[in-house]
Amino acid sequence: MLTRFVIPRLGWAVVTILLATLLVFGAMQALPGDAATQILGQNATPEAVATLRRQLGLDQAPVERFISWLGHALSGNFGTSLVSGQPVGPEVGRALVNTAFLAGITIVVGFSLALVLGLVAGLCRDRWPDSLISTLALVGMSIPEFIVATLLVLAFSITIPIFPAVVVAGQNASITELLPAMPLPALSLMFVASAYIIRMMRTSVIDVMETDYVHTARLKGISTTRLVLKHVVPSAILPTLNVVAMNVAWLIGGVVVVESIFNYPGMGSLMIRSVQSRDLPTILLITVIGAMTFVVCNLLADLAATLLNPRLRHPRNAK
Amino acid sequence: MESLNTAAGKGTFSRRSVLTASGLAVVSAAFLTACGPGGSAVPQASSGGSGAPAKAGGTLRIARPPASKAETLDPASSLSAYEYLGAIYNRLVRLDENGAVQADLAESWETSTDALTWTFHLRKGVLWHDGKPLTAKDVIYTIEHMLDPETKSPQAGVLAPFISASSATAKDDLTVVVALTSPNAEFASLMTGYNCYVIPAGSAATIGKTGIGTGPFKLAAFTPAGPGQIVRNDAYFGDKPKLDAIEFSSIPDTQARVNALLAGQVDLISQTNLDYATSQTVMASSVATVSSVKNAQWYTVPMLNSSPEFKDPNVRLALAHAYNPKDVMQLAVHGNGTIARNNPVPPTEAYYLDYGLDYDPEKSKSLLKKAGHDSLSLDVWTSTYDSVLTPLALAMKGSVEGSGFTLNVKTSAADSYYTDVWMKKPLMTSYWYTGRPVDQLLNQIFRSGSSYNENAYANPDFDKILDQARATVDDAKRKTLYQDAQKFLIDDGGSLTPFFADRLVGLSKKVAGYKEHGFEFDYINIGLAG
Repeated sequence: MLTRFVIPRLGWAVVTILLATLLVFGAMQALPGDAATQILGQNATPEAVATLRRQLGLDQAPVERFISWLGHALSGNFGTSLVSGQPVGPEVGRALVNTAFLAGITIVVGFSLALVLGLVAGLCRDRWPDSLISTLALVGMSIPEFIVATLLVLAFSITIPIFPAVVVAGQNASITELLPAMPLPALSLMFVASAYIIRMMRTSVIDVMETDYVHTARLKGISTTRLVLKHVVPSAILPTLNVVAMNVAWLIGGVVVVESIFNYPGMGSLMIRSVQSRDLPTILLITVIGAMTFVVCNLLADLAATLLNPRLRHPRNAK
Repeated sequence: MESLNTAAGKGTFSRRSVLTASGLAVVSAAFLTACGPGGSAVPQASSGGSGAPAKAGGTLRIARPPASKAETLDPASSLSAYEYLGAIYNRLVRLDENGAVQADLAESWETSTDALTWTFHLRKGVLWHDGKPLTAKDVIYTIEHMLDPETKSPQAGVLAPFISASSATAKDDLTVVVALTSPNAEFASLMTGYNCYVIPAGSAATIGKTGIGTGPFKLAAFTPAGPGQIVRNDAYFGDKPKLDAIEFSSIPDTQARVNALLAGQVDLISQTNLDYATSQTVMASSVATVSSVKNAQWYTVPMLNSSPEFKDPNVRLALAHAYNPKDVMQLAVHGNGTIARNNPVPPTEAYYLDYGLDYDPEKSKSLLKKAGHDSLSLDVWTSTYDSVLTPLALAMKGSVEGSGFTLNVKTSAADSYYTDVWMKKPLMTSYWYTGRPVDQLLNQIFRSGSSYNENAYANPDFDKILDQARATVDDAKRKTLYQDAQKFLIDDGGSLTPFFADRLVGLSKKVAGYKEHGFEFDYINIGLAG
């Protein structure tokens, strides 16, 4: 399985990541302005821009700069930020840890809850628990996350001030400073991301409940609990896994809007700042990490699907 | 404005964040006006959150939009962290509310009868934060540092035409003599800019991080685009500040700054002109309020004179007569401002001339005809870079209906507004902070070839008036010349300025003694209410 399945996928992963960086580099070249003009803004007099370009090494040709970046990146050196002049590794690393922390809470709490809610909705098809859960999920899918975030802030930081509205310490915040500010962004993300998982889980539970083997199991008088845990969940969760994987990758890649609203010092807010200042080395490292997360999450989802698939778990039944 | 515009704006407002901000405004305004104590009053001009004087002590928390990770405490740099400067440094001289030059590190100053030689007498016994005494050497070094091309100081362009790196010399330890290369009777006012804060001799390489100044506060911590803290300097030569300390936090997103204020996490949000809807939300809150800084924002619609559309002054004048500034101001900022009648000099300025072009659609039509057009359709560019720019463009579009003009509003991304649109598109919306001395305003933004000349206005006769004014030592005569320059500029269609808007600043109800004008923030009297 390792050679047949994982190795070729890893090969493709490297190609995917490489293409992603090339695409992002190209896109950044297509954007108007460069780091020098963005940093200087209204003070971008021709002399000042020329001086800064020289100081930043932006006077070289783009192709040259990409090749030189790639060479260094392959040896693990992702360069220094064009804006702060500091190595990009530690800064992006800090942001990644912060985002992973936020994503972790969202995934563990939110996604488990979503799977359970989806299961309940599917089992109670067309009865009131289903209507309630489905409606909520639909609302979650339809409302943009910045509205959800804003409403949460209004409710829980302004009207009833239990949680801070923003992370005041910003990028320097330690994990202990971040903890109290975590619930609201996590809740906003859960609300939005869970909706898809609930819908997907509900649909596949309904599908599985209609299958012959579930009917057979029922006729044989198996208890509902056993039926659900042993037969329904493992089969129903399979198609849902890909949705979960995409959501995990989306969360790790940095959720730009939610992070900005809460001034949360993660990948998303770092990305938006870097794009605005055209800070290529930072953007490229974020791209590498983002692409890597997508590839790995998808790979894991496929692997998990294989492992959970009853046909593969019981090879004798496989055709 | 340089750093303010760049800093505050450029990096920090994305289209999304402004969309988000309006989302907040709409949603929360709806909530709060529904259940709040009637939140529909227009924010009134006041000088602080609470009317009471500030008590001694306490820590004030200010949220600021960071410029970028390249922020520095070097005051000469265009990347300076603006909020820190006025608290930790001093200049030779500063501007008061009426645009008059006042003493700061210089106790007194005088100029020769030909306005070529300036002498500044420094205050005795001023100490740097590291305990060393201030001397003439520091001032000379500061001027050299500002003019050094490697510093890329926006003020270099202002000073370079009449000063060289070797202009400043020390007569003794406390006397600085500046020999100008061409006469300038306004030199003192040009040293009030926020790039002109005095730094210790030889500190160019370190000042960006150490922030060693002579000001009322000392630097305790500073992270570019991150948090920072300043504490009271008990050795300060002037009145001591009321506060023990100020904590700064960097919050790029406008909505996040407002949320932090409403949630009581910060006491004041700096460099943020609240849009009207948000200001209503803040006013309706139980913890925060809005203070307005009179005429702090200069809103203008630059017409690129080098473009085929605006080459002819008749077209520029026709457009200046084509809109009703009263309607435009009402629509764009709910009337919170002062009508400018196309004079770019704010009415609070000492040299202000009460003159302008008024709404006259018939005159506009005849001027347009004179330029050879029956009607003219133009694109006016805007962005969400500032909350008023788009309302301004839309208000102009509506107001010129019925004249010969048709305006089509085009929106560009906020983060490339100053690279793609500014000084490139024939017609756009723009804004500056007011507070420049008149000489700097007219020379920096309207003189032929200046790098901030957003109208690409170029008229040698106008430049000649400015040169004459600079060479005139007699105060009354010089004032007349600056007023002549204003009239000349207005009559030549040099500026399209509908109004000056009041800046709506969000602050906690606990804040007392808040005062700000131009680029001067009162760090001495601000504090917490007793």
